[in-house]
Amino acid sequence: MEGTGSYHRDWSEENRGRQYQQHDQHRQPEGSGSHYYGPQGDHSRQGNRIPEEVVTPPLAASASSGSLMAAAVDFKTHVDQACRAAEEFVNIYYETMDKRRQALTRLYLDKATLIWNGNVVTGLDALANFFDMLPSSEFQVNMLDCQPVHEQATQAQTTILVVTSGTVKFDGNKQHYFNQNFLLTAQCTPSNTVWKIASDCFRFQDWASSN
Amino acid sequence: MSGQVSSGVHPSTNQQQAGHAAASGAHVDRQVRYTPYAIPFYRHRSRRENMEGNKKPQEQGMEGNGQDKPSRSWFKISIPFGIKYDEKWLLSVIQKQCNAPFTPVEFHYEKMEAQFFVEGASVAFELKNISGRLLDEDNEKISILVSASEIPHSVQRQPQSEMVEMTKPNTDKICDISQLSLDIQRLCFDPGMDSGSGPKADWTTDNTAIAPEPRDYKAASLQNHEASMMKLLPSKLSNTIQNVSITENLDVSKYKMKPAVELGREKGQGSEEMCTEKASLSTTFPDKCSGISSSVLEMFPKLLCLGGQYSLSASNFCTEVYKTLPTCKGGFLGTDALKDLVLQFLQQYYSIYDYGDRQGLLAAYHEKACFSLSIPFNPKDPTLSCLYELYKDSRNMKKLTDPYLRVQLLKYTKHDIVRSLCMLPKTQHDLSSFVVDMWVQTETMFCFSVYGIFKEVEGEYQGSVRAFTRTFVTTPESHTSLCIMNDELSVRVATPSEIQRTFSMLMPTPTLILSQEQQKMVQAFSIQSGMNLQWSHKYLHDSDWDYNRAIQALSLPKQGKVKDFRRGPHTD
Repeated sequence: MEGTGSYHRDWSEENRGRQYQQHDQHRQPEGSGSHYYGPQGDHSRQGNRIPEEVVTPPLAASASSGSLMAAAVDFKTHVDQACRAAEEFVNIYYETMDKRRQALTRLYLDKATLIWNGNVVTGLDALANFFDMLPSSEFQVNMLDCQPVHEQATQAQTTILVVTSGTVKFDGNKQHYFNQNFLLTAQCTPSNTVWKIASDCFRFQDWASSN
Repeated sequence: MSGQVSSGVHPSTNQQQAGHAAASGAHVDRQVRYTPYAIPFYRHRSRRENMEGNKKPQEQGMEGNGQDKPSRSWFKISIPFGIKYDEKWLLSVIQKQCNAPFTPVEFHYEKMEAQFFVEGASVAFELKNISGRLLDEDNEKISILVSASEIPHSVQRQPQSEMVEMTKPNTDKICDISQLSLDIQRLCFDPGMDSGSGPKADWTTDNTAIAPEPRDYKAASLQNHEASMMKLLPSKLSNTIQNVSITENLDVSKYKMKPAVELGREKGQGSEEMCTEKASLSTTFPDKCSGISSSVLEMFPKLLCLGGQYSLSASNFCTEVYKTLPTCKGGFLGTDALKDLVLQFLQQYYSIYDYGDRQGLLAAYHEKACFSLSIPFNPKDPTLSCLYELYKDSRNMKKLTDPYLRVQLLKYTKHDIVRSLCMLPKTQHDLSSFVVDMWVQTETMFCFSVYGIFKEVEGEYQGSVRAFTRTFVTTPESHTSLCIMNDELSVRVATPSEIQRTFSMLMPTPTLILSQEQQKMVQAFSIQSGMNLQWSHKYLHDSDWDYNRAIQALSLPKQGKVKDFRRGPHTD
């Protein structure tokens, strides 16, 4: 079972002469399909469940080198992990924002940066203050997409790009459509992975006419 | 309900409100009575006492000052448009949602609002919490506004025949977690976690170049906030506030909490559950209690401000009433050099994307890059259906739940990516509409999001205007070029004002003088097509003043589909 060894996603398939599997293009899953989802099995949380944490099973270490199939599993596994984390994260983030605003900064790294409609907020102090000053909110997300970020950009720090959009109503203000993008980074232990926001970019779609 | 409190109650005058809730016998919550947050409350009438010796928060805190007995704080609860609601109904709806039982005092309607008073910070806090979560019978939200208040008149008028001793708050009580109506567990970390302990070469710690000193934003906005709140508070309160140095109180560095790591060392408090992450208070209160309580205090500084810092307590609750959003600004791009780099990149990218063969984009992507596309999911919005048709590979995970498909629809490797880009509709992007936020900038990564509009220039929906957000994660390859690692595109239907704005860019330059005949053509075309004169002119101009050609160019899309810009702004 993965859990020991390197936790870095291994994107460097050049050495293995990996080729992208063309037969993946058709949409019939092969066999039981389990090998597309990675070996981590049941997505259950361990230990005390803390709502403001985004926790997923440990990231699968790279499969042993050699087989093309193993390499294909690698990529799919990483994407799958990214999807699960992103989905979990988005649910927790917006619920915390709406209902437990004071705990929201728990989801951010110490030096995280937020760009909110062009306003830059850096560090937990400033973030806490900022979220405190924002009126109470009600978010509705109707779009979510995510990708694992290439290792070369992140200096080997496992990172996911999460993109969302939807509507938000801040108390005392009219409803806005918004776009929000996050970079989440993983903090890995043998038993689980905790995801936190390293960077956050938020903007109303109609920001120009909202002042 | 409001009558109950005033009967048979003998509250103390002035500051001493101790035990009045208990004496009333009804709807008294032990929690409210023994709230650990009942810090001595200095009403403005005793302003002189406040000013004298200018007590520091630590002294005021839990112990009370030598003279005054511990007293309660009162809050006014306002329900905007509450005049619509029957008193009993409204109060019962609120009580159902509210975690803490409360006893409303002096319920009345004032203008459009329903108002009443409650006693005790924790109750007020609970009420504030449920604002916006209540629905009336028309399914409209009920807001609850909370502001600090003087003791209601009806309560003041009660003769005081006895002083009911309030349990003196002490640090043990405050640290007794079971009394808190809050779920402390929810505030805590997995104790094994030490945030920021990733590998040393951590891009997240590198990403500091991006932002100006956070204090700039904070200081400015808080000062403005305070200034505007001063104007809005009733004059009695603002008199008090003027006597307190507000800016000093807002200096974060003075009020740093003890690192919560220390909390773990306290005994008998379930302390292993308490937090590992240190966080500084963003407003006011330094920790009065040692150990455990500081994490509580840091989460709820507003409550503790009440006694010690009257002004700030008022202002903290008043912020709920008067909270505004920060001003929205244009794209944040950091330095000029960065701005140039990114804008140049976008120009190059879109000139190929719009006017060249998109195969040319192979050079822009990393070998193992990723790309995905997403359309918002809103079953109530019929205009989205055309987008679903055009952008079949939409990977919106709100709609797409199949894990297999989620993997498949992520395009991986530059060849795959460019292949899918070539299959997307041909476009014309309006670069002048672009707003760009650069939200990560490190040595190895520039991550930025572009918001803008484009037009479809061929196919069934030719002429339709779309709005998009595109996020690029790139690696600088040289001083002048960026290599795309991740590319995420989301497309939506443009709003009428966005469409207008695009068109203003694409309109022909204001006319040369039209001949009589041309003028007649424009008029006729306008009548026949239903478009306004401006657009009629454009069509004719684009068709070299060949009337029939212009008419043909109006080939209409299928019925009932996307709003086609060529229908034009009919009304000016």
